[in-house]
Amino acid sequence: MHERFANAYDPFVIPYMIGFVFVIAYLIVALCFVVKSLPMSDRKKMLKHLFSYKIFITVKDIFADCLLHVKIWKKNKLLGYMHSSIAFGWFMLIVVGHIEIFFYAPHRVNLPYYPIFFRYFMMETETTVGGSVFFFLMDFFLLMVLSGIALAMIKRIRRRLFGMKRTTRLKWNDQLGMYALWCIFPLRFLAESFTSHISGGGFLTRGFGMIFDWFNQFMNNDALIRPTWWAYSIALMVFFLTLPWSRFTHILSEALLIYMRNAGIRETSKNNGYASVEIYSCSRCGLCLDPCQMVSGASLRQMASVEFTRNIRWGQTTQALEAASYCLMCNRCVQACPVGVNSVQLKLNLKGADVSYRYPHRYDYVESEAAPSPLATTSAWADILQGEAVTAETAGVSAAGAGKPEVVYFAGCMSHLTPRIEQSMVRIFEAAGVRYTFLDEDGGICCGRPLMLAGDRTGGEQLVVKNTEAILATGAQILVCSCPICYKIFKDTYKLEGVRVLHHTEYLLQLLEAGRITVRKSAETGVFHDPCELGRHSGIYRQPRDILYRVLNLHTTPYEGKDALCCGHSIAAEGMPYKKRRMIAKDALRKMTENPVDVLVTACPSCKRAFAEIGTTRIKDIAEIVSEQLVCPHLAAQPKK
Amino acid sequence: MKNFGFGLKKSGVMDLDKTDWTLLREIAAEEPSFMNCFYCGTCTATCSAGKYTGFNLRRLQLLVKRGQWDEVAGRIPECMLCGKCQWVCPKGVNTRHIVMLINKKLHARKIC
Amino acid sequence: MLLEKYMEMMKETVVIIGGGPAGMEAALSLAGRGYKVHLVEKTNALGGHLARWDRLFPQQDPAQEILNELVNRIREADDRIEVVYNAELQYIKRRMRGMEVLLSNQTLLQADAVLVACGFDLFRAERKEEYGYGIYENVLTSADLERKFKEHKVVCTDGRTPEKVAFVHCVGSRDEKVDHTYCSKVCCVTAVKQACEIKELYPEAEVFNLYMDLRMFDRYFEQMYHRAQSHYGVHFVRGRLSEVAETVDGKILIKTEDTLLGRPMKLTVDMLVLMVGMQACAQTAELAEKLDLKVSASDHFFETKDLFLRGNHTHAKGVFLAGACTGPKSLPDTLQDARSAAESIHRYLTD
Repeated sequence: MHERFANAYDPFVIPYMIGFVFVIAYLIVALCFVVKSLPMSDRKKMLKHLFSYKIFITVKDIFADCLLHVKIWKKNKLLGYMHSSIAFGWFMLIVVGHIEIFFYAPHRVNLPYYPIFFRYFMMETETTVGGSVFFFLMDFFLLMVLSGIALAMIKRIRRRLFGMKRTTRLKWNDQLGMYALWCIFPLRFLAESFTSHISGGGFLTRGFGMIFDWFNQFMNNDALIRPTWWAYSIALMVFFLTLPWSRFTHILSEALLIYMRNAGIRETSKNNGYASVEIYSCSRCGLCLDPCQMVSGASLRQMASVEFTRNIRWGQTTQALEAASYCLMCNRCVQACPVGVNSVQLKLNLKGADVSYRYPHRYDYVESEAAPSPLATTSAWADILQGEAVTAETAGVSAAGAGKPEVVYFAGCMSHLTPRIEQSMVRIFEAAGVRYTFLDEDGGICCGRPLMLAGDRTGGEQLVVKNTEAILATGAQILVCSCPICYKIFKDTYKLEGVRVLHHTEYLLQLLEAGRITVRKSAETGVFHDPCELGRHSGIYRQPRDILYRVLNLHTTPYEGKDALCCGHSIAAEGMPYKKRRMIAKDALRKMTENPVDVLVTACPSCKRAFAEIGTTRIKDIAEIVSEQLVCPHLAAQPKK
Repeated sequence: MKNFGFGLKKSGVMDLDKTDWTLLREIAAEEPSFMNCFYCGTCTATCSAGKYTGFNLRRLQLLVKRGQWDEVAGRIPECMLCGKCQWVCPKGVNTRHIVMLINKKLHARKIC
Repeated sequence: MLLEKYMEMMKETVVIIGGGPAGMEAALSLAGRGYKVHLVEKTNALGGHLARWDRLFPQQDPAQEILNELVNRIREADDRIEVVYNAELQYIKRRMRGMEVLLSNQTLLQADAVLVACGFDLFRAERKEEYGYGIYENVLTSADLERKFKEHKVVCTDGRTPEKVAFVHCVGSRDEKVDHTYCSKVCCVTAVKQACEIKELYPEAEVFNLYMDLRMFDRYFEQMYHRAQSHYGVHFVRGRLSEVAETVDGKILIKTEDTLLGRPMKLTVDMLVLMVGMQACAQTAELAEKLDLKVSASDHFFETKDLFLRGNHTHAKGVFLAGACTGPKSLPDTLQDARSAAESIHRYLTD
């Protein structure tokens, strides 16, 4: 083992060094920018995290996500292998390379290029134990990376092998970075092979080197060695120089993202540092494309999250805003993202920033129900409001007998357009002998979530205050709502002291389990559609199924639970044309009823309407099914079918 | 033309010759369904805000189309964006987006 | 004599799908020209929607009289017209000359031309859940009300005489949400007719018509509208229904905007009548596939070759269309279209 050159230098290291210094400088500057744009509290969190025991979890997460790509493995083994072989293989080449330096040439540790071009500068022999081990390890990991690169090339042509129907289309900057990356390791392999008759090599490099030796007898000896090392160095330089402008920035930012996320930092505003790290961490892998129903159901590829993050990154705010206004916020892409980019929150933040260019909403006209605001007298609805409010109250009291109601029922705006849901809930309350009050029987005010989903937090908060007063005034301890949109905000944002917030799926199951209502099972077959706001956003999956097993023959589809589809009519997507929404609804309905059933059951008035508009399948809310199957002799006849 | 001495009182006549159509064009460009409305009034009938105030989306859209912005500006912030109007609209108009766009455009022109 | 007999045997045969007014009138026209006709009806009686109607706009003629006359004339022409009941088209096979038509009852017919006159279906009002049809008992469709007229029982479900009745125009028409973007043409005039009939029965009742645009386009229609206002005092409100609710006493609370006043409006009625529009009949897609016909992507009715000179022709050789299967039509229009289809077939067969 000895060095071939006393000065330990060759001009071909210059391109590499340019790239290396550039990347280090970029890293430091970028980190400063990120930290600078964070609020002080977040900066403290970052510092604290470094010295907390949780840092070990972060190290483990970085290892699992950035190097091994565990999340991608779970999705598709071949795709997982492709990502982890490149990342982990490369990482191990660097690690083993450095160990080699420490082992053989500790005095060269200060030369950053030395491990990169080690085989050129150092001669070694496989006859020693150390030599054979290092040769084997280095060649093994090189082979690993090469296999990953080969797969990456195949993926560009045959992506279905990797479980992907669609992948990203690359712009020139990404292409440059990608081709540079593809070149690095084959060039390293060639360079090491060509040098192997001098410096030695493992099973791979020496093996190929021997073939090369045979060719050597026909041509000028070793003429290819230095040009190949030059090419290797230039490929590295190109890759590094394009790094800040290509998809591969994620190699640097993903680790930082994991660190910051584990430190408890979130994307609270459009320009917050965490948000930018998230955007730079998008590797444009395209795993969010297939789950996105805008892409699969309505040919709106340009609206996918991967394009949105790109638009944000390149300052194309108009396009980004358009994509945000189309997004259904169903969270399917967030769930699929191997890096954990919360693009839905990023879109909300962008909408939130846009709201400042609008006049603030004001709802001072919503006074307490008893005394309508002077504004209200200009409207014909004012008298209705006053008149009906009294009847609604008396109805509530009569059902309640004396004292406070047990339950306050908030149907929600949308449920007024699906009267069957309201009718069924009322019937069930009466069958169960529940003392209830129907808060918005004559139409209430909005829960505020639609405003929040339009990015308008302050507008939404005004409605939160108004509704909180009305709900607390009833004195009920349970709030039951029929609309998952309301449910989500009541549960997460409202401060309803002493009131349990339940969606009617949860409440109906409670009534069933407590024996307050009994049902018989019908012969009908059905499937359940999980509404996004109830399922992915609120985690209610079990309750509806527990109910449905008791009332019909529940079949399953591949689109359930976390993999549930969106009905396409999300309130978040204010900009999506109706025709596109309808296409998504139609596509989702077709997928869920591929094996025909008697009825598609859901638990959201919006989903119900969206699918009912298509008109091909009977759609029912879970409350309707329960109401129809009630066994209750003391109640009036079944509602008409 | 004879003035009849009523100069102080604003005329009730809409003078479409003096209308600035840019707001209409901008909104229609960003939300093409703005032009679909056939003024059936279903949005207004179902409106959660219209129950308490004079908020009337059908009328507001028409006022924008006729260039009568002044009347629109004060009303727009009353909308709760609840989306009922969008569900009942027979013409598939993206009503929520239109309210947001009108608001944004008026703000940009400092009309209120 | 012999020659005549021979000519008779050689006379071409036409199969007509659908025994409604269009099918019957076309059968009579073709039989009058000496063709042999097989009139295929999927139910056990002729007449289609006409058989379920009480009186016809614009002059309140009894539907039954018109139907009876058509049926009688078909009976009289039984040497030329053979009615096949309870049968539908199974498949069609093209031969060197004409076609072979197999019916669902396994009858095999030879045809030189086929006329599709399968008509329309009424819009299923329960698809507009916010209108409460099938949920609230006193919400009816125009067809339900017509049946009540026929049975002379125009009362609420609890037997009360309606004091306030509202008619909602354009239910399932001009509505993208149910993918029916077109106007059904006849609902406006039917609503005015039924409103007048309610007032005839109950002069004290208040009757409201909620319309978007009143399309009184045909002969005597405008006069009907005039009479409804001036003679019967029917209220016309320009606004579309948004949603309904039921009050404690079983009345229907409706919400709309009076768009001419620019104010939201509420109204409680005893009976709400939904003027359901026309939609392409359920067999359209199936027939289109079997007969190689085109269906409009816009309104889902059959596409004719053009709208002017070949308004009864299809893109398939020897197959023709008549009546409301090519878009909403009033009864007079349907009957004329049937005669025009017969003329087109005659020209095709003699060409």
